[in-house]
This record gives sequence, C-alpha cells and structure tokens, in this order.
Amino acid sequence: MIKFNKRLLVVWLVLASFTLGYLWIDHSAEDHAGSLRSSAVVTSSVIVIALIKVRIIFREFMEVRQAPVLLCRLTDAWVLLIAVALLGSYFIGTAIR
Amino acid sequence: MTTVTENTDKPAKFVPGQPDMWAFVLFETLVFTAYFGFYLFYRTQNPELFLHSQAQLDLRIGVFNTLILLLSSWSVARCVQSARVGAYGPALKDAFLTAFFGLVFLCSKVFEWARQIQMGNGFGSNDFFTYYFFLTGIHFVHLLIGFVVLGVAIYQLRSPVRRSQELVETCATYWHTVDFLWVLIFALLYVVR
Repeated sequence: MIKFNKRLLVVWLVLASFTLGYLWIDHSAEDHAGSLRSSAVVTSSVIVIALIKVRIIFREFMEVRQAPVLLCRLTDAWVLLIAVALLGSYFIGTAIR
Repeated sequence: MTTVTENTDKPAKFVPGQPDMWAFVLFETLVFTAYFGFYLFYRTQNPELFLHSQAQLDLRIGVFNTLILLLSSWSVARCVQSARVGAYGPALKDAFLTAFFGLVFLCSKVFEWARQIQMGNGFGSNDFFTYYFFLTGIHFVHLLIGFVVLGVAIYQLRSPVRRSQELVETCATYWHTVDFLWVLIFALLYVVR
C-alpha cells in the first residue's frame, strides 16, 4: 500500500487557492458601476501570481526540487524570462500607445 | 540518526524523465511566451476592445478548467511517485484519472467555444477573439498530444516487461507542461486588465 503524499495535496491546495484568488482580483478590478477598466496593478499582479504558480508546478509537480542544480537554475531563469517578456510587452505597449 | 534515515531525507538528485523532453518543454515555453508577448502588446494598443470582448468570457468556466487541469497534474505526479516505488496498480489508476480530468477539460473547452460562436464571437470577430481562439486552440492541440503521451505511459505501466520509469516521468513532464501553459493562458485571457 503506497503512502498518501500530503505534500502534493498541499501543493494542489495552494495552486487552487491562487486560482480562486483570481475571482477576488476580478471582482475588485471592477469599478462601482460594475464596468471593466484597464489596470496595470491588476495586470502585473495577475502575471506575477501565474508565474508563482508555474514555478510551484515546476518545482513540486515536475520534481525540479529534486533535480540537479542546473535544471533548477534553468527553470528559474525561464520563469524570470517569461516575467520580463510579459511585463515588458505590457509596459512598453502602454508607454508607446 | 542512522545512515538509512539520512538517505531517505536526502534522496539523490535526478533529472525527471528524458533530458530531451526538458529541452522540448523549455522550447515550447519560449514559443508560447512570444505569443503571450504579442497578445499583451496588442492589448495595450486597443484596451477598450480587449476589455469589452474579454467581458464576454465566463471567468467561472476559466477557473473550473484551471482547477481541473491542476487536478490532472496532481494525479499524474502521484502516478510517477507510485510507479517509482513499484506500486503499478495505483500508478495505472492515477494515469487513467489524469486522462479523465483531461477529458473533462476537453469537453468544457469545446462547450465554451460553442457558446462563444453562438454568441457571434468567431475567430475573425476581432483581435481579442483571434488571440482567444488561437491560444486556446494551440493549447488544445497540445492537450490532444497529451492524450497520446498518457496512452504511452499507460501502455508502459500495463506490462511488467515494458515498464520504464524514465518514460513514465517523460510523459508526466509533458502533461505538466500542458497544465502550466494553461495556467498562463487563463491568466492572460480571462483576468488581465
């Protein structure tokens, strides 16, 4: 009989909580009239939360935590690269509009 | 503390699955990052259009889909761990469970597409929906490939003569990639402002 892995359950619960947190972010992003508006704070927070989730998936579900240092550093570099590319595209686009 | 306990606490470092799959995962992530960058850039050029089109998506469906794919990732992670200790029965069960969650996601996605098309939002309706159908569509193709990959894992796990832990880990790595790409697509299409 294989032992139930509590760590994986906790990881899923954390990822699910971040996902449900988007409902709260979405709700608070609406103005009083209930209409949508652009928000750099919301966009940045949403991207950062998504990347935290990606890093958790890398480290816990994909077992990078137990992998050689090279793979750990490489996946961390990738998460940073995505962050720079996404936030960069958003803020450059906003600046030159 | 005995040596045995020390060994259990600090397992040897290993690359999960074949390194080639990791190269593929990192390459695919780069390609998707480029798509996401273009999407965010064009979004800032016409924010009103993107906001109004985005409002026609149901965030609850997006949240549901994300939770389902996260459940599938969790079960494939359990499958790898079970196979590693030789518990092939539970591993097989978890692989089937992963495929089931994948199927639920697939049905939910098709339902969402049908709903959008019924509402008059097609691929060419506007820039937002072009990105919506393109990103969710290309992710859908990756999901379909994921079913083939899961099939390979199940085929491996079913017979004692074929069982290869490395191949099971390789398949799981691909499936997790389908999951984390969706995590990004969901955030960018449904929640970003």
